[in-house]
Amino acid sequence: MEPPKIWREKRQKYLALGISCKKCGKRSFPLSEYCPYCGTNDVEEYRLAETGKILYFTNVSMTSDEMAFNAPYCLGIIELNDGIKVTGQIIDCDYKDLRKGMEVKMVFRILARDGHEGLIKYGFKFTSM
Amino acid sequence: MNKVGIVSYGSYIPQYRISVEEIAHIWGEDATELKNQLQVPKKSVLGLDEDVVTMAVESARNAVNLWDGEPKLIGAIYVGSESHPYAVKPTATIVSEALPTGKEIMAADLEFACKAGTAGMQMCFGLVKSDMINYGLAIGSDDSQAKPSDPLEYTAGAGSAAILIGSEGIIAELEGTYSVTSDTPDFWRREGATYPSHGQRFTGKPAYFQHSIDATKGIMNQLQTNPSDYDYVVFHQPNTKFPLSVAKMLGFTKEQVELSLVCRHIGNTYSASSMLGLNRILEKASSGERILMTSYGSGAGSDSFSFVVTDKIEKLQSYPFDIEYYIKRTKDIDYGLYTRYKGLLK
Amino acid sequence: MRMNGRNVFVIGTGLTKFGEFYDRDSTSLATEALNAAINDAKIDRSSIKSAYFGSMTSNSSPHSVFSSKCLRECNMSIPYTRVEAGNASGAAAFHQAYISLASGIYDCVAVIGSEKLSDFVKNGTIEKILGSTIDYQWEYEIGATLTSLYALITKAHMREFHTTMEQLASVPVKNHKNGKENPHAQFRREIPLDRFLSAKRISDPIGRFDLATHCDGSSALILVSEEYLERNSEIKNKIPILSSEHSTDVLALHHRESLTQIKSTVTAAKKAFAKVGIEPTDIAVAEVHDAFPISEILAIEDLGFFEKGEGGNATEAGLTQLNNKISINPSGGLKARGDPFGATGIAQIVEIVEQLRGRADKRQVSEIEYGLTHNIMGTGVLAYVNIFGQEEMKQ
Repeated sequence: MEPPKIWREKRQKYLALGISCKKCGKRSFPLSEYCPYCGTNDVEEYRLAETGKILYFTNVSMTSDEMAFNAPYCLGIIELNDGIKVTGQIIDCDYKDLRKGMEVKMVFRILARDGHEGLIKYGFKFTSM
Repeated sequence: MNKVGIVSYGSYIPQYRISVEEIAHIWGEDATELKNQLQVPKKSVLGLDEDVVTMAVESARNAVNLWDGEPKLIGAIYVGSESHPYAVKPTATIVSEALPTGKEIMAADLEFACKAGTAGMQMCFGLVKSDMINYGLAIGSDDSQAKPSDPLEYTAGAGSAAILIGSEGIIAELEGTYSVTSDTPDFWRREGATYPSHGQRFTGKPAYFQHSIDATKGIMNQLQTNPSDYDYVVFHQPNTKFPLSVAKMLGFTKEQVELSLVCRHIGNTYSASSMLGLNRILEKASSGERILMTSYGSGAGSDSFSFVVTDKIEKLQSYPFDIEYYIKRTKDIDYGLYTRYKGLLK
Repeated sequence: MRMNGRNVFVIGTGLTKFGEFYDRDSTSLATEALNAAINDAKIDRSSIKSAYFGSMTSNSSPHSVFSSKCLRECNMSIPYTRVEAGNASGAAAFHQAYISLASGIYDCVAVIGSEKLSDFVKNGTIEKILGSTIDYQWEYEIGATLTSLYALITKAHMREFHTTMEQLASVPVKNHKNGKENPHAQFRREIPLDRFLSAKRISDPIGRFDLATHCDGSSALILVSEEYLERNSEIKNKIPILSSEHSTDVLALHHRESLTQIKSTVTAAKKAFAKVGIEPTDIAVAEVHDAFPISEILAIEDLGFFEKGEGGNATEAGLTQLNNKISINPSGGLKARGDPFGATGIAQIVEIVEQLRGRADKRQVSEIEYGLTHNIMGTGVLAYVNIFGQEEMKQ
């Protein structure tokens, strides 16, 4: 949990950013300087859709120290309504209630905490609608 | 003079609830008596991955999503709270990046017990009215702190309210604002202390009641209005009884204050308390209706506001994530889970 | 026309016991394995001109530069390279060593895989280490662990091919049965199916006993070129490396079209089989990456031993048991042998070489023509596939 990395990645983690390629028209995640489909650097920042559906999901009970405050938590691959897929925690829910295809909405939560004195890392997660 | 007022509003309440019965059971107290006294059957509790920052962001995003403007137009963010996660490192900076506003923005975290959020509103009204900014965002967000077994524990909830202030697209125009401040040690928390201390019954008469009454009378005197001129009145809600009592003392009816009593469902959300009450009214009010709001912050002081609802409000009243949504979205927890969620286990 | 390079052979193997050795460090383990391999090859250690070390954690832990200390203790002053490819570091080091011989740069090199994981006793440390084998920013930091990603893969396979919990559990049951006969294995006991099925789920549907354990161990090989063998005709027990291939897939699962196929395994296997000119059915014995039950099921499908979706059925039916249709993980695999990341890929090769030499005792597979090893990093961002043959065979 070093400050430079958290600072460098904050916007991407807060806003869920990808790119939209001006040449081939494709959108992709995460943010990058070059389009992974056509290789051009003629790309612009793109904010991912805020709602989507659960494609795959599981629960996580064993995790690293910085994320253990939240465990056990649910985790899944979400297909957003713009077609982009991301991995994310699905929170405020019971694992047993999750279903494939369930609609979820992006929310802003704590991803990790560096003990009691270190930094707090924030970012996107999902909750059921 | 420029018109100034509220242009949008957003709320956030975490989903977890703990009942008075659960807490009373732990301390051997009489739940029925406490419920009659406080009229707060349940209070809201933060999830493990939530804090004042995440709640502030959610309420701010709700305010911005409801509005048809761009967050880049916002020129100031003030976040009032008693429970900022960092003692040094402003919540407002994180809210700004998460909206995202532009970088050229005024920002600060405020503390004035339960009225830091309304202090932020006044700052925004002043900055907009003086043309220093186009829009300002005032947020009250609190993960209310209470020492286990303290009477506060039954009501100290969690929530956030964001009020976007501007001069274009006003949904509730500001008629006036009036404040009173005095050095009154009714409730405090020293640097480094985990929980606030308070003066028991002393928090009532010379503190909550005196300041709320003085500020409310002050604004009505300033604007030459009477309680009957208002359709709705909002007070700070440490419990449900206090705002009902102060309303009665001032000559307001139960009907005028009832809609604002979000406290009945979620308890005392400290800096967010009166602002959530105002948001609830904005969700239901009609064009031409008048709202009087008086916050209270221990220490102590009160800020009063008088608003007239405009015809632009209707467009901002059909939003899926309103207070009603958050009030209905609940999940009860027992005291065991509560100790984990509140971080009481060291 | 593709240049195949020179023929390369394994002439010596060395392996420590795998397990938790709190009283030993990385240098000690690596030195034991390397000395064992040199002794097995029956060559003078001065013939070895370079060494390749495969280790994932050694540069970020108290075991830093154990490679240099190991060579000093072995009385060898030669250039060395440490190769890191996550939990496939061993296979990656082997591949680099193979290239150095096939290209004609060296004639005799050592490959050492070593990992010392029992030092990481704090909760969550191994999860964090393994977080660097998946997309650290967009999987791990978001909350995913390697185990949870395999849980998603397992559920996808169950959904798509009706793979059952019993079929999945039959993978570690078989591997523990095999491991019982492997003196180097960490766990030398059988574990009944019920034990896997009734264990707590740590990432549903993956249970507490389904994971290969992260332990300590070292493995080593001596590799030589054909030219070296021509000059030293007294060398026996040489096993030819008929192909050594690797391939890749995108790192994050959310970027993959399918979760039920490890593309890197499929492409590496295709290249490897094409180079030797054989079919998957020609393989009698294979050591595959079984970090999780689903890993072995995916491996035996993606390597072409079974049709896609049939891996669970085949395992439950016993087709992958010792001396059945194909013997999968006769050593006990990562599951029973234990998984010291960097040592694993090379230990797999040690097992196949011993099988081809006919020295595998009670776990010996009969009538082997070809043997195969398969090691992957993370969820398959990299896959390494090697095919070995009998002594007289050439590429």
